[in-house]
Amino acid sequence: MTEALISVRDLSIRYGGPTGPAAVDGVSFDVNPGEIVALVGESGSGKSSVSLAIMSQLPDSVHVGGHILFEGHDLAACGRREMEDIRGNRIGMIFQEPMTCLNPVLSIARQMTEGLVRHRAMSRSAARTRALQALADVGIPEPERVMSSFPHELSGGMRQRVMIAAALTLEPSLLIADEPTTALDVTVQAQVLDLLVEIRNRTGDGVLLITHDIGVVAEVADRVVVMQGGRVVEHGPWEQVIRAPREAYTKALIGAHMSLEEALTEGGLHG
Amino acid sequence: MLFFVARRLFTAFITILVVVILAGVLIHVVPGDPITAMMAQSGSADAEDIARLTAQYGLDQPIWKQALLYVGNALQGDLGNTIRGGEPVAELLLDRLPNTIALAVAGLGTALVLGIPMGFIAAVNRGRAADFAVMLIAILGVSIPGFWMGLTFIQVFSLHLGWFPVAGTSARNIVLPALTLGVVHSALVARMTRSALVDILNEDYIRTARARGLRERQVLLVHAMRPAMISVVTVVGLVFAHLLGGQVITENVFSWNGIGRLAIQAMLQRDYPLVQGFIVIFATSIVLVTTMLDLLYGLLDPRVRRR
Amino acid sequence: MTDTTTNTRPGRLPAALRQWNIAVGALILGIVVLAAILAPWVAPYDPFKMASGPRLTGPTAAHWFGTDELGRDLFSRVLLGARLSLGIGFAAVAVGLVFGVIFGMVIAFSPERVKALLLRIVDVVYSFPDTLLALALVAFMGPGVENATIAIAISLIPFYARVTYGLAAVERAKPYVEAAQIAQAAPARIMRIQVLPNILQSLIVIGSIGFSSAILSAAGLSFLGLGVQPPSPEWGSILASGRNYISRAPWILIFPGLAICLTVLSFNLIGDGIRDFTDPKSRRRRT
Repeated sequence: MTEALISVRDLSIRYGGPTGPAAVDGVSFDVNPGEIVALVGESGSGKSSVSLAIMSQLPDSVHVGGHILFEGHDLAACGRREMEDIRGNRIGMIFQEPMTCLNPVLSIARQMTEGLVRHRAMSRSAARTRALQALADVGIPEPERVMSSFPHELSGGMRQRVMIAAALTLEPSLLIADEPTTALDVTVQAQVLDLLVEIRNRTGDGVLLITHDIGVVAEVADRVVVMQGGRVVEHGPWEQVIRAPREAYTKALIGAHMSLEEALTEGGLHG
Repeated sequence: MLFFVARRLFTAFITILVVVILAGVLIHVVPGDPITAMMAQSGSADAEDIARLTAQYGLDQPIWKQALLYVGNALQGDLGNTIRGGEPVAELLLDRLPNTIALAVAGLGTALVLGIPMGFIAAVNRGRAADFAVMLIAILGVSIPGFWMGLTFIQVFSLHLGWFPVAGTSARNIVLPALTLGVVHSALVARMTRSALVDILNEDYIRTARARGLRERQVLLVHAMRPAMISVVTVVGLVFAHLLGGQVITENVFSWNGIGRLAIQAMLQRDYPLVQGFIVIFATSIVLVTTMLDLLYGLLDPRVRRR
Repeated sequence: MTDTTTNTRPGRLPAALRQWNIAVGALILGIVVLAAILAPWVAPYDPFKMASGPRLTGPTAAHWFGTDELGRDLFSRVLLGARLSLGIGFAAVAVGLVFGVIFGMVIAFSPERVKALLLRIVDVVYSFPDTLLALALVAFMGPGVENATIAIAISLIPFYARVTYGLAAVERAKPYVEAAQIAQAAPARIMRIQVLPNILQSLIVIGSIGFSSAILSAAGLSFLGLGVQPPSPEWGSILASGRNYISRAPWILIFPGLAICLTVLSFNLIGDGIRDFTDPKSRRRRT
């Protein structure tokens, strides 16, 4: 059996010291290569904290317990310089708000090439070529024009694609997408999701998709992890969790998403 | 972009115009008859002289006419003549203006060189000892009267240690007054830098930069400092204006031969045309500098530069 | 619950620190106010009496702050100076605040064109450093403590007007004002009854800022000879008259200067403290 790309074991996150209230408690799941795992739950379920914990981007005052095994490291115990080498490089991350996630005073070219310059010691021009390729790969027309633009000149959907392209230039083996579609229009949402699936198919990366929207989950996830109140309530393959949910909470989530329920009963979602 | 520039320049022009008008009219704030007051200063109170001067200064004309006259003359470079010696005001002021500018630039430079790193250290260490220390120094700096700091520096560095001359206008002399201005205003700069940085460090794009695995130093110096410095530019204008205000007194303390010192003397001698001229030149300088800074900001911030 | 924003590792000082601002500031200010109020009774010597002691002597048990060039007791003079400085500061701020707030509100409720013009004028005057403004006014009005106070008050007006305008403009856009306008309430009434109470808290903070500026201006004006006239012991004035004797008698430089510093510092601390206390951003940091 292929080894999991990333293994989260007994993750606990406590704000306010080792004995503080647990925002996340006893969370365990795997992401295998070439798999899209969806971490789904409402606001406050702790799902975003999990992604921040994986990337070690929580403030120092937050206490993280458990293990996060990735490519031979335990991320929960890694030092700062180690994490800086892993972030962006081996694990890419995409965030929710494309409007605010890009630095408004730096050009797209700068923001896309700096990762390559940093992690691969590429020259600016080599990095630029690579970045142009990445922009094309995510389906951006006129990559040259976009490269010399500034974030405020692009639409939300474009910016999100740029973020994804930037993440891809470094060819990470794991991509974490934290609510990548929430701030976008419905039509653009579909495009971005298709893009994620295509990337997964093309590169064989693992994708950890974090979302509160179970409709998104139903569309693209291979496996689903449902979180509530900091704990994993249910997890398993898509067929099991979405079509035949065992837990009441999961059923409630699905039920609340009206068109999903319809689509399920009528059949004909991705299979 | 062109529209932005044109609009800023137009605003600047109007502002200067308004100031000149106000300056021209200011003489009527004087209680009693300005001419009598002026005459009392220089000695003779001859009825004939009073009448002549009144006519000469156009004070028998209605106010709006006087204002117009003043503005008209100002635009031609004529700011009247001093009461004391009858010398052309414009000439006197413009002669000394370079000294004032030199000191102002030195003072501002010092303030930036001291203040920005302080603000940076404070912001990056927010909530910790370094932040507390820097902010304490900053709040002390803002509380110290400039003239007192100047006197203290003279006491310590000139009289006690003999490192610098006490008074006069030269390259060596610029150190203490520049330091006086710089230290006080570095406090302002530090607070503003800290404030800008703290806001920026909470922004999402800093999180993105860290998520890319960039070294913390690069995140701070490039991703955080660049937008911070751009927003500080907008504020430097205010700092500069404040600095010029303090400079008037500092020039007096250090006997620095700039327009500030001249203005104080004029005020003490009730030489109103000279004071008026000073106000005009002073305000024009501020307006020009702030306009330049605004334009600089427009150039630096891509959000403004490109539509 | 919102997701965590990654801060730059905040430490544990914030909550206590904010309280400290106000506490220390209030303490210092309390002492100064006390000195100002009690000066005439507490001062060991008559501040104006020359040769209370030998001239230019340093701090001793008899003269805590030493004596100046005319033999006057410095401690008594500094004490009385507190009364002068605080008096001028308070008067100037009171007048400036009242007029500034009125102007600001009027501008906020003016029709568009008038508003633009008035704002422009206010901005022009505001771009002048306030100490200089006071200076220019005093130059024309003539020296003296009353003129200085008026000049400082006027120099504060643009600042207060601008701030008030900003606050009032925000309020004006709110639904409750719109409702009042629809109900045909007179603008003056709206201003007074509805908007003013809501911005009062912010104005208090702003008021404290004006104080430090006023005191610094007063000291500066007196130092130049344009404000309080000797032999009145305003702190700046003491520094001016003692200026030539500073090498021989550094205490003349130290004590009045410290007095100014500490007083202005206390206002700044309090102003900062209140501002941090009411700022929602720093509140989030504290939890």
